[in-house]
Amino acid sequence: MIVLKDISVAYAQGIPALAEVCLTVQRGEFVFLVGPTGAGKSTLLKLLYREERPTQGSVFVDGQNLNVMRLRQIPQFRRQIGIVFQDYGLLPNKTVYENVVFALRVIGASRKEIRKQVPHALEQVSMAHRPDAFPHQLSGGEQQRVAIARALVNDPPLLIADEPTGNLDPDTSQGIVELLCHISANGTTVIVATHDSAIVDRMQRRVVAFEQGRLVRDENRGAYRSSEHVASESASSAFQFSEAELTAEDEIDAILTGAGL
Amino acid sequence: MKPNSLLFLVRECFLSIRRNGLMSLAALGTVTVALTVLGASLWTAYRVVEVAQQQPQRFNEIDVFLNVETERPQSLAVMERIRLLPDVSTVHMITKESAWSYLQTSNPALTTALPDNPLMDKIEVEAKQVSHVDRLAISLRDTAQFPEAMQVNDGGQEVRKMLGFARLMRVIGGGAAIGLFISTLFIIQNTIRLTVFARRREIRIMQLVGATPGFIRFPMLLEGLFYGIFGAVIASGIILFAAREVSKFVADIHSPLLGDVPSRLTAPDMISGLIAIGALLGLLGSMLAMRRFLRQI
Repeated sequence: MIVLKDISVAYAQGIPALAEVCLTVQRGEFVFLVGPTGAGKSTLLKLLYREERPTQGSVFVDGQNLNVMRLRQIPQFRRQIGIVFQDYGLLPNKTVYENVVFALRVIGASRKEIRKQVPHALEQVSMAHRPDAFPHQLSGGEQQRVAIARALVNDPPLLIADEPTGNLDPDTSQGIVELLCHISANGTTVIVATHDSAIVDRMQRRVVAFEQGRLVRDENRGAYRSSEHVASESASSAFQFSEAELTAEDEIDAILTGAGL
Repeated sequence: MKPNSLLFLVRECFLSIRRNGLMSLAALGTVTVALTVLGASLWTAYRVVEVAQQQPQRFNEIDVFLNVETERPQSLAVMERIRLLPDVSTVHMITKESAWSYLQTSNPALTTALPDNPLMDKIEVEAKQVSHVDRLAISLRDTAQFPEAMQVNDGGQEVRKMLGFARLMRVIGGGAAIGLFISTLFIIQNTIRLTVFARRREIRIMQLVGATPGFIRFPMLLEGLFYGIFGAVIASGIILFAAREVSKFVADIHSPLLGDVPSRLTAPDMISGLIAIGALLGLLGSMLAMRRFLRQI
């Protein structure tokens, strides 16, 4: 489904956003892209929907080489991809239903298709009960569900989510990610960039980690941090803790001695 | 484009105009003001040139008044001699009798007070060209050639002034029109750019879900066109109203120079012309406004 070959992305002067990244994602896979802010997750996603072009290497999505794609082919290509953002990206002056319809209207869908697909998409994200609500009348989780419905309405083979739970509380986040997993189970390839460690750890899915533009880890049922990383981190914090304890005891000792006791 | 989509886009365009309320009103206001200034300047320049050009036609006439003693056959002979001059186009005699009878009906008090007809024969000479009036007047004043001529009246000075003025107005008017056209275009471009900016979220979503650039552009072209046409309609209303007031004022001062020169440009011509200019500027303005913006898809 997705093949990245030796990708590098460099912005004018400075550290490369991505360096020598190779990545293959099979159809129907669910992948977490993890790493700190600025590690290159979003840049990688932008490569996938042809918002960004690599300085080096080539990007293939669904058999198409994005490097040689013409500008006027981009709209058609993007209809194969659903995109979800941290800030939901809903139109504030349109209702839930209209927001989802909008995505179909702008690609020239017929009324018949709209009448069939929009309720189905809203049902998939459990938002069919509030089609007439405006975004500001919904909670963050509900808005994100509508955004996912909009991304899904065209039945794309690939769904890309950039920090979809960034603005949500842990329980709601869990619900959103479970929804994305459910969508993936139906055969859609889902790629989620996140730094929500709790969710990544709980889901036990494929994890691709980035640090400073480099792919540092690719595990099939992985956690947010690598096992060695977690071990060394807990060891060092244990050491610090004992050191702190020691100092406190010393201090108490000193106070006691000072008081002449 | 499918008719279904076209309908959707037109509706989206007007929905956006309505929902952007104040913004749309400001845009329309700006475009209206710009078009009013452009239209009023163009029309004023046109009228001034028209009036100025029409005036010399009144001034290419020279009136030759003959001595009172001149007998009718002699007068006729003078007229024939004038007719033979190279610069003359037509000659026409107003006999003292006809002038007297005209005066009798128009001013009976005066004619009854006078004992006898004191008037003289007058020959109206029309020069072939306005620029020849001076030369013609000189030869008519030549006493050796025309001893019967008592007085020769021509509009020489005024003719030269009016012709110069008309030329100047054409240059200034043309220059001002080009300048105003360009600045109006920029005003519209800026206005549309603001509405594009106000809708950037919508445009972004359209780009991401795979709308073609044409699809994104269309409602904004429509919006530019709407502002251009609607602004032009309001502007022509303002201009026509102002023109009526001004012509009332001009009629009041009874200036011989600003007499009733009929315009070849009628009100419907003016309105349709301004609407065409408005539509053109609206389209061009929105195209310019979106050019940079849509390149970044």
